[in-house]
Amino acid sequence: MDFLQPTSWADALAVRAERSDAVPIAGGTDVMVDLNFDRRRPGALLDLGRVPELREWTVEDGTGGVGATGGVGGSTVRLGAGVPYSRIIDDLGARLPGLAMAARTVGSPQIRIRGTVGGNLGSASPAGDAHPPLLAAGAVVEVESAARGVRRIPAAEFFTGVKRNALEPDELIAAVLVPEAVGPQQFCKVGTRNAMVIAVSAFACALHPDRRAVGTGIGSAAPTPRRAPEAEEFLAGELESAGLWESRGDLPDGLARAFGERVAAAASPIDDVRGSAAYRRHSLAVMARRSVTWAWAEYQQDLRKAA
Amino acid sequence: MTTMDRLVGAGVDRIDGPAKVRGTAPYAYEQDPGEPIAHLAVVQSTVNRGRISRLDPSRAEALPGVLAVLTPANAPRLGKGLASDLPVLQSLDVHYQGQVVAAVVAETSEIAKAAVGAIAVGYDAEPPDVALSPDREDLYAPEKLMAGFATDSIIGDVDGALAAAVVSIDATYETPTQHHNPIEMHTSMARWDGDSLTLWDADQGPHNIVNDLVTGFGLDAGQVRVISPYVGGAFGSKAFTHPNQMLAAMAARVVGRTVVYELTRQQMFSLVGHRTPTIQRLRLGADPEGRLTAISHEVVEHTARIAEFAEQTATPTRVLYAAPHRRTTHRLARLDVPPPTIMRAPGETPGMFALESAMDELAVVLGLDPVELRIRNEPERDPERDLPWSTRNLVECLRTGAERFGWAGRDLRPGVRTEGRWLVGTGVASATYPTRRRKAQCRISVDGAGRYVVEIDGSDIGTGAWTALTQIAADALGTDMASVELRIGDSRLPFAGGAGGSTGLASWGTAIVFTARDLRKQLDEQHGGQPPAGGLSVDGELPGESPHAKTHSMHAYGAHFVEVRVDRDSGEVRVPRATSVYDAGTIVNAKTARSQLLGGFSMGVSMALHEGSVTDERYGHYVNHDLAEYHVATNADIGEIDISWLDVDDQLANPIGLKGIGEIGITGAAAAVANAYWHATRLRIRDLPITPDKYFRELGES
Repeated sequence: MDFLQPTSWADALAVRAERSDAVPIAGGTDVMVDLNFDRRRPGALLDLGRVPELREWTVEDGTGGVGATGGVGGSTVRLGAGVPYSRIIDDLGARLPGLAMAARTVGSPQIRIRGTVGGNLGSASPAGDAHPPLLAAGAVVEVESAARGVRRIPAAEFFTGVKRNALEPDELIAAVLVPEAVGPQQFCKVGTRNAMVIAVSAFACALHPDRRAVGTGIGSAAPTPRRAPEAEEFLAGELESAGLWESRGDLPDGLARAFGERVAAAASPIDDVRGSAAYRRHSLAVMARRSVTWAWAEYQQDLRKAA
Repeated sequence: MTTMDRLVGAGVDRIDGPAKVRGTAPYAYEQDPGEPIAHLAVVQSTVNRGRISRLDPSRAEALPGVLAVLTPANAPRLGKGLASDLPVLQSLDVHYQGQVVAAVVAETSEIAKAAVGAIAVGYDAEPPDVALSPDREDLYAPEKLMAGFATDSIIGDVDGALAAAVVSIDATYETPTQHHNPIEMHTSMARWDGDSLTLWDADQGPHNIVNDLVTGFGLDAGQVRVISPYVGGAFGSKAFTHPNQMLAAMAARVVGRTVVYELTRQQMFSLVGHRTPTIQRLRLGADPEGRLTAISHEVVEHTARIAEFAEQTATPTRVLYAAPHRRTTHRLARLDVPPPTIMRAPGETPGMFALESAMDELAVVLGLDPVELRIRNEPERDPERDLPWSTRNLVECLRTGAERFGWAGRDLRPGVRTEGRWLVGTGVASATYPTRRRKAQCRISVDGAGRYVVEIDGSDIGTGAWTALTQIAADALGTDMASVELRIGDSRLPFAGGAGGSTGLASWGTAIVFTARDLRKQLDEQHGGQPPAGGLSVDGELPGESPHAKTHSMHAYGAHFVEVRVDRDSGEVRVPRATSVYDAGTIVNAKTARSQLLGGFSMGVSMALHEGSVTDERYGHYVNHDLAEYHVATNADIGEIDISWLDVDDQLANPIGLKGIGEIGITGAAAAVANAYWHATRLRIRDLPITPDKYFRELGES
């Protein structure tokens, strides 16, 4: 097995184009497990750890137009694919609260220092902790090839099957473009222990008061991470018709519950060793209700702060 | 320098701590045999039952760096008389999934592992028979249980007493297969010099391993040396010889140089034993005041086709509570599974989950405080052996624990306390474990300057034995710890049994005390109390069980009090706090003892909430055979644990007065959690582990 270690993004793309048998490796928290368990024996490993461009995050303002779906004129964080979870927690808790909350639940401190969002997207596991908040925030995945240049794929279109994604064989993930939060975001995860756990189910939600929209992301309860579009539209519509976006009045408990049920209905879970399909659906309903209740309470607090 | 009168009892820091922290304490894999090391990797069967029909090693043999491929066709013949799965590569028959069917020896571990993938194996296989059920027609009564216990015990008319009982309960409890998973994987490094074998090995007692190597390779005991100074945890999985030691020695002989074999984490689920699953029916009868009239504890568990391991699951029920009519039985199913083995408190751990859950259920029916129920059934004598206790302070443990925990005034009603989304409850359970000791020999030498060398083949598997034995020796010799050099973990040292059954300090420590007495006597009588210039060496021996063991019943005791919180929406379970109080006799090292008791209790919480090896009944394997899926408790799962012990001393057990602490902490712990879970939720989970989905199963909602 060859170990390929480019030191610039251009070199990395060139190597990717030449070596279709190479498996890209970032933090290695998934790839090394696969190798250890002999799940695959790639011809080469393409180590992206020495590519400095991948380890940066920057803020791009809305006027520049990075193509993200969110943020009317708002800013977008361009998160290099190789930024580890520990830096997301340290640096981006205010700008990307949902992603930072999810990052805090990843593995152990050692795993959070190694693991990256780019790697999580590359593995495309339905249980990847970063995926639900990226879906809820309306993030866009920036991929690139030496031959065809940059392509931007909405997170909601990026996951194509169990551990499969929309990358072409000659493409690498460059960055994730995540709109900065303009409203509260929440992330919840249920596991069969309190840390170091692969999610039995996970859920993220984001309130986008600027465009009066709601974002969702479901993890570990379908072949891919996915949104719950009907639940999003339902809740946004109900908030709109009750004038709650403006009044910031209390969120009716029945509305949170109905939202939870719609989120659960959007899942297609299976029974496995970590949990039953029925439990996954139930816990999604609970997490969706809770997280939107917490997010709404935060939205109400924001007003008091502003006033 | 300590100014204490005696070192036993003090919370002395581990003497091996600095070396371990610096990485200079050599574990088996890190030993230097003095020559380049070859690496071994194994091919394991993918079927549970059948016969190898095809095995082609040629592609593997052709790989650069491969030194040898061992198969049943070419492996050296081992001596007759090896039990269980130790006759490795001696037959084409397959008895369990994961059985070693070929082994590669190569220049590096990477080459060896790559070559494993180049070996094609075919099988004539039969469907796996791996499902344990109390309805199986092939259940049988073993001749006797592990550690020599009788298979059944029947006193009085149990069925009659149960039928006549004013209050009774009848419930069935299940515990799953569990795997030990010490942090250090089993590792064996073998080197031959002519016909002499040296094995650096991760085990719980070098002398235990020597015998099987002698048998397997046709050697004299003097031709085998097993060296194991540092071991990274064991929990029973390293007590006996497993295929790894035989393979390393066999491979080293074939290739003519040192070979090391370190198991992978996944191999830990098939090659080094597990705890049997159990199905236990408990029936209790009592009078209206809660005095037990009958106890019946019937156990169904499994063993392997090729080895009988009969776990002594109902034995704690034979000693814990008084009742005139009593019955315990054990029945086994022989399944296509790897051989089970001992795992921390074999017998007591699953058995106490059932007994102590049933006692809680009985207290509920009686409307009685479960602490009071236990106190009302305190037996004056061992209820089955009809012997006095050496010392027994279970009631004191319960009372002290209740006070420390804040049990008084507890509302008996379940499911009535909430804090936000959390349902809150508390539970109690007793703990017990036998107090024993085993034969051990010891040599103590003193030089002219008053420096002592204490030699005994004891084992420190992470317990603190290095430190505790040095404390015992220093006290027995009337010196300080710095003047004592301890040597353990080597079969060339005087004989001792392994670390197991909570007998280590009772056996090795007593042998040291006896030998030290002899040495001091000789110094006093022949040398005026001063070490002679040329030094002096004395050999001593502890013959075995205490002379009082036949006339007294000897056990350690404890009581666990646990708070449990259950998320009423998600079913998630938390254990924010617990109190455990022990009657474990003399505590030798307050610091390492606290760690042992805390670790035992935490393993019990882990058993209650997380642990279970899931068997795929179609394909016969353990589905969750790695630590990502076989969950053990993490730091975030363990809350505030208050550990304490009574100031007691059991001189009938041994001259140090200790009862052993390696296992008592886990016994009863899972029941305390399950009982608190019931108090929080009204739901009685009788099949471990208590996972979030079971909350909804019991509510009938999913």
